[in-house]
Amino acid sequence: MKRKKSNSLLGMAFFGPALVLLTVFLFIPMILTLVFSFTDFFALNPGLTHFVGFENYTNIFQDELFLQSFLNTVKFVLIIVPCQSLGALGLALLINRVTICKKYFKVAFFVPVVMSLAVVSTLWMQIYSPEGILNTLLGNLGIAAQPFIHSAKQALPSIALMSVWQGVGYQMIIFLGGLQAINPALYEAAEMDHASGWQKFKDITLPELKPLCVFVFITVTIGAFRMIVQPMVMTGGGPSHSTYTMVYNIYETGTVNWEIGIASTMAIVFAIFVMILTVIQSILTRDKEEKKHVNKKTKNL
Amino acid sequence: MKRIFAGAGVLLLAICSLTGCGRKEPAPGDIAGYDQGEKYLSIWVHTIEDTDEGEAYKEAVKRFNEEYDGQYFADIEFIPRNDSGGGYSDKINASVMSGDLPDVLTVDGPNIAAYAANHIIQPLAELTDEERNVYLESILEQGTYDDKLYALGAMESSVGLYYNKEILREAGIEVPDQEHPWTWTEFSEILNQLKPIMKEKNGYPLDMTFPVGEATIYYYAPFIWANGGDLVDDEGLLAEGYFNSEQNTETIQYFASLVEKEYMSATPIDKLFESGRAAFKFDGAWEVNTIYGSYPDIELGVAPYIVGDGWNKERYTPTGSWAYAASSKTKNLEGATELVKWMSGVDSGLLLFEKTNSLPSTYDAFEQIKLFEEDENYKALYYQLSTYGHPRPKTPVYPQVSTSFQQVLENVALGGMDAKTELDKSVERINAKLERYRR
Repeated sequence: MKRKKSNSLLGMAFFGPALVLLTVFLFIPMILTLVFSFTDFFALNPGLTHFVGFENYTNIFQDELFLQSFLNTVKFVLIIVPCQSLGALGLALLINRVTICKKYFKVAFFVPVVMSLAVVSTLWMQIYSPEGILNTLLGNLGIAAQPFIHSAKQALPSIALMSVWQGVGYQMIIFLGGLQAINPALYEAAEMDHASGWQKFKDITLPELKPLCVFVFITVTIGAFRMIVQPMVMTGGGPSHSTYTMVYNIYETGTVNWEIGIASTMAIVFAIFVMILTVIQSILTRDKEEKKHVNKKTKNL
Repeated sequence: MKRIFAGAGVLLLAICSLTGCGRKEPAPGDIAGYDQGEKYLSIWVHTIEDTDEGEAYKEAVKRFNEEYDGQYFADIEFIPRNDSGGGYSDKINASVMSGDLPDVLTVDGPNIAAYAANHIIQPLAELTDEERNVYLESILEQGTYDDKLYALGAMESSVGLYYNKEILREAGIEVPDQEHPWTWTEFSEILNQLKPIMKEKNGYPLDMTFPVGEATIYYYAPFIWANGGDLVDDEGLLAEGYFNSEQNTETIQYFASLVEKEYMSATPIDKLFESGRAAFKFDGAWEVNTIYGSYPDIELGVAPYIVGDGWNKERYTPTGSWAYAASSKTKNLEGATELVKWMSGVDSGLLLFEKTNSLPSTYDAFEQIKLFEEDENYKALYYQLSTYGHPRPKTPVYPQVSTSFQQVLENVALGGMDAKTELDKSVERINAKLERYRR
């Protein structure tokens, strides 16, 4: 009995510091954000704060800019998630095949991940500039110069593609690890059965990578929702707010316009949305996992 | 038992380190130079310590402490500010909440109204006429809110309409003197005349963009004032009828015509003017230094800022920079005002010019710097600033006014949207922010 008690005390001692830090920097701010979201908290004059009930919540849904930034974020996610997940898988498969300079390719694709987002963004501003590398290349191919980040239509896809380029190396390394962990005996067995390349991919590689796919899918999604640095550096959210994201909007509302109350409301609404989405994602993927188990069982029979 | 104490200790330490931000005023002898009998004054500036600007501030404070030895001791703290405005302002916001503001702080010119309206800063102690007259009118104007003087700066700024002398000579265009600027109509004709010449050079008559951020309102709000318009009323509490006035619609349409007639590129091209592919460019006073230093092949001239056709010698050219103000928390307004006066005075202005090349804020400083007499371009910028300088709109909702102005220009000039509709939409947004001040 005594031992148990001292054990739990020891546990608390290890856990304590982390708990304190988490409480101060995570839980309390979260609760405060929720509280502020029902007030008209103004950073320059905190003394004048009143509770305003759900006023902020009804107001932001009538705010065109909020809706647009929300829509932009969703667009970013819709481009980035498939491109980055599939791109990472493709790159991993290719590198897994390559026999020479394997390390070189691995490093080359991973370097952008290590670089600061601000640096990468500045670099791509040069690449996308009206007289930059990309337009010069297009010019050589006889294609007219494109405005890229300077046009309301092209800015969002341009930034999304750049983000994919920047982030894809990380997920590639994860997939590569997964590929190397697949038991080669599975492929040998398949070869004995004269399975085609596609069949091997479909029936061995993909199912074996399944848990990783779920992980990559979710992390990429959450990462894409947090988009702020790239538009901040490259376009300032423009042209005409076409690259103004949710997080950018929250940041500007809170720090530039000093409206902490409204910014908190936006943060809460956004957090709820992402939470719902994550729950849906996990339900969808879990269902398939279970189905797979059922399938496996029937196959084994 | 020991563990409990250890755990509690860790907890206490964490809490202390977090709540311990509350500043305690140091006692004499705690800091080198702070002696018995001196009154302590804390001052916050918005830069990093080891930059040219930071060094100038440090030196100015050092000289203040020498001058006021035995009376005051000023203690400077450097709080870096990032490009998008965070850092320094976050620190101020947090200190407003915790009540830890210093005695004196720096405030960016356009934010003075918001800080004053929210009682973060207080009016300075009374200045004598002699003391006031040291400063450029634009500096006094910038620091005044609700008829009270809140802030004084050591730096001023200006934007020039630069031109490439070689190109204008080639086209046979004469630049008017400062008292007779080109009107929009005249300027459009000149741009039209230059268009074929610049096309040959693979460029545009005008190097101009409407970037996100403070630059757009800073460079182009003068077009509004030089056309008899304004962005908000004198009190800064009304946008309706000002921001979306008929004159402003006309002004915004003028910008749109520059893009439409291809006098400027719709997508920004890097270094267009610097590479000799544009005849004109609007840019900050720093551009003179850049051209002299990095592009000696460009023959640079400063033309007077252009005006609306009905301009009647009103003040209209860009001004404004960081200024010093006394916080509402200072218990020693006399001392804080002394420090503000010192930090914004002739000596500090000269020091800043020496280190950073920024324009000073006092007539005396300008007179003491030979460059403003000898160099025609600097001379032109000084003339424009001292004769026609106009501060940016003085309103507590300045951030919203600034971003709205940029959005309207971008949407109308580059996006082809309707000027009046966009201006009306902006007024709605500005009004939403103004509500707080009308209650």
